[in-house]
Order: sequence, then structure tokens, then C-alpha cells
Amino acid sequence: MELSESVQRGLQSLGDQAVLDRGSFPVVVDACFRSLLSSRGDPAVLDLPELKHVDKILLKQIHAAATTFILEAVKHNADKSTISSSLEELTFNTERVEIFYSTFQKHKKDLELLLSSIGRGPAHIKDVSWRLQYQMKNGQLDKVNEPFYLISLSTENGGASEDVDFSCTAEQLQDLVGKLKDAAKSVEKASQM
Amino acid sequence: MLLVLSEEHREHLSMLPQVDPSVVGEFGRIALEFLRRGTSPKIYEGAARKLGVSVEAVQQGVEGLMFLLMESSKHTISEVDFVDSVLVLGFGEELNQVLLQLYRDNQAQIRRILSQLIPSQPSFHQLEWRLDVQVASRSLRQRLVPTVTMRLMLSESEEGKHSTWVLQTDPSTLLHLISTLEAALAAVKTSHSRRILRNIK
Repeated sequence: MELSESVQRGLQSLGDQAVLDRGSFPVVVDACFRSLLSSRGDPAVLDLPELKHVDKILLKQIHAAATTFILEAVKHNADKSTISSSLEELTFNTERVEIFYSTFQKHKKDLELLLSSIGRGPAHIKDVSWRLQYQMKNGQLDKVNEPFYLISLSTENGGASEDVDFSCTAEQLQDLVGKLKDAAKSVEKASQM
Repeated sequence: MLLVLSEEHREHLSMLPQVDPSVVGEFGRIALEFLRRGTSPKIYEGAARKLGVSVEAVQQGVEGLMFLLMESSKHTISEVDFVDSVLVLGFGEELNQVLLQLYRDNQAQIRRILSQLIPSQPSFHQLEWRLDVQVASRSLRQRLVPTVTMRLMLSESEEGKHSTWVLQTDPSTLLHLISTLEAALAAVKTSHSRRILRNIK
């Protein structure tokens, strides 16, 4: 993985036993993962009693470097050997590599979910509801006597939800369901290739 | 069901027996064009000159004829009832037959035109789909996410105005949609629905 100079320097401090002793290291690693996964930025995430003796500015640099490294690793789906070799190059000892990697494994799925939600795309259909109605007469015509459906698709796009409503006759609904079944069949075929 | 024609309406139609039945057929055609596309004074003027009557009389005749056809189509009255309603006007047998023929030929079309005036919701027009697999994004470089992308086209109340929605769904939601909509299709075939459809006529 390619890392910038500042990230490398911050990680070196993280691995440096003179900066963070055995007790403080896992605390810092946990804090970094926590700040990535919490829904609100917490300015006090590094204000922990175990870290009182560490220089505040250095701590911030370590935090920034570590979070960048974590996100890059998730982005590229880095495997154990890649992460281990990157950290060992930056003078992490074996124990620290182990602690870092096991925390990484624990939170990897959640981080992937977070990163996948960034980005734009078409609205995503979540559910469909329907209603069958029978039209008897209206302002312009008597004796209409036709059944029809009201379909409502509930969609979501980046947190905002919207409903797509439309009406259709039984034949049109038949057509719609036929097309959806074609789509499902092609998904099945593709999954068997 | 019999149509009750107002005094004014009868007056307007009273000029019809004064002209040839073929002309009445022509008036019928003008009346339908009126429903479909509106009319222009030039048509009335041309007809008035040919027949030697006032423009106003022609206009009233055409509009009266159109209103008669419209009301009959709206209530889908039977041919017998139509003839009975027209008898009131005291026209000759031949004229009545011409009017009946006009009604028979154009009833379905008039109903279709009238149905465009009703407030309506967007209705289904077309659905296109394709199967996509997301391979990477700016924030994640190794992905494998199958998605079905669809374009749903709905037609608004006027002819030719389509609204388009581009939507996406995943395979499991797609299966859920299919099973829900199949249940919807089955609903119209239950005995409950059949009974209602049969009895409300």
C-alpha cells in the first residue's frame, strides 16, 4: 500500500515503544476505530486518562495517520500479509501488529458498510404495496365497471425516502410481473456461471 | 334509460330535418372533430353558405348533435332507448336511422375521449431492466454487488407525456416484489372479487 510521508511518520510514532507503552497502544488503536465507526465526530475521543502523559499534538498526528491507514486498508481490501508487512516496515513489533490486525478484522465489515454508503446512485426500491379497486362511474362516464390496481413503490436514496405511485390494469400488472420475473431469471443464470 | 332533452336543446336540433340526411351525417363528422380537436368558424361558414342558412343555426345544430351523442355515450344507453329519446323530437324515420348509425359507430370513441377528461393518476406504461454488478467505487476498490437497474415509464393524464423513474434493487428485494405482486394479481380472481365484479354492472 502506498502511504504518504505524514502517514508513515504518524504510524512510526504509533509503533514506537518510547511514545506509547504497552498499555497505551491498544487504547489508541481502539480510539481510532471508534472514531471511524461512530456516527458523530467526538472531539474528546483521545481525552482518555491512559493517554494523559502523551504529547497532545503527537497524539493527533498518530490518530490522523492511523485512521487514514485503516481506511486505505479497507478500501483496497488488504490481506493480512499486506498489512503486516506495511506495519513491520514502520517498526511495529510482532505483538503490536497482532493487536492492530485483530482489531482491524473485528471492525472490517462495519467499515466496509460505511464506505459503501458513500456515493450516488439511483433510488433503491425497498418495498411495494398494492391496492385493488373497482371503478364504477366518474364525472364524465357512467358505467365504467373496471377493476384497477394502485401500486406504490417505496424507494430510498441516501437517507431520503420517496414513494413512486401509479395505477395499472390487471394486464399491465401481468406485464410488469413478467418483466420482473425475467430479471430474476437472468440473475439466477448469472449466479450459476 | 331515456334521455330528457331540454327545450333549448330541442330548438337547436330542430334545424336538422330541414336539410338532407347526408348533410346530417356531415354534421356528425364535424361534431366528432369538435370533440377531438375543437372547431373553427370557417367550417361553420362554409356549411352555412352551402345550405343557405345562418351560421348560428349551423353551429347550434352541430353542437346540439354533439351534446346528444355525448350524453348517450356517457350513459351507454341502448339503441332502443336512443331511438325512443330521439322520437320526441319528431324527426322522420330516415333521420332517426342516420342518428342511430352515428351513435353506434362512434360510441366507443366518444367514451375514450371523455375518459381523458377525468382526473387520473400516472399509469404504468413500460418497464425496462438490466442486471449490473458493481465492481468498484471511489471508496471501495474491490466489490461484487449484483443490482437490477430498472427504468419505469409512467404516462401522465395527457397522451404522450411520460415520466421516467430510474430505480435499483437487489436480488432479494426483487424476489420479494415478485411474490407480493403475484399475490396482488391473485386477488382479482378470488370469489369475493368475482362476486362483486359480477354483480355491480
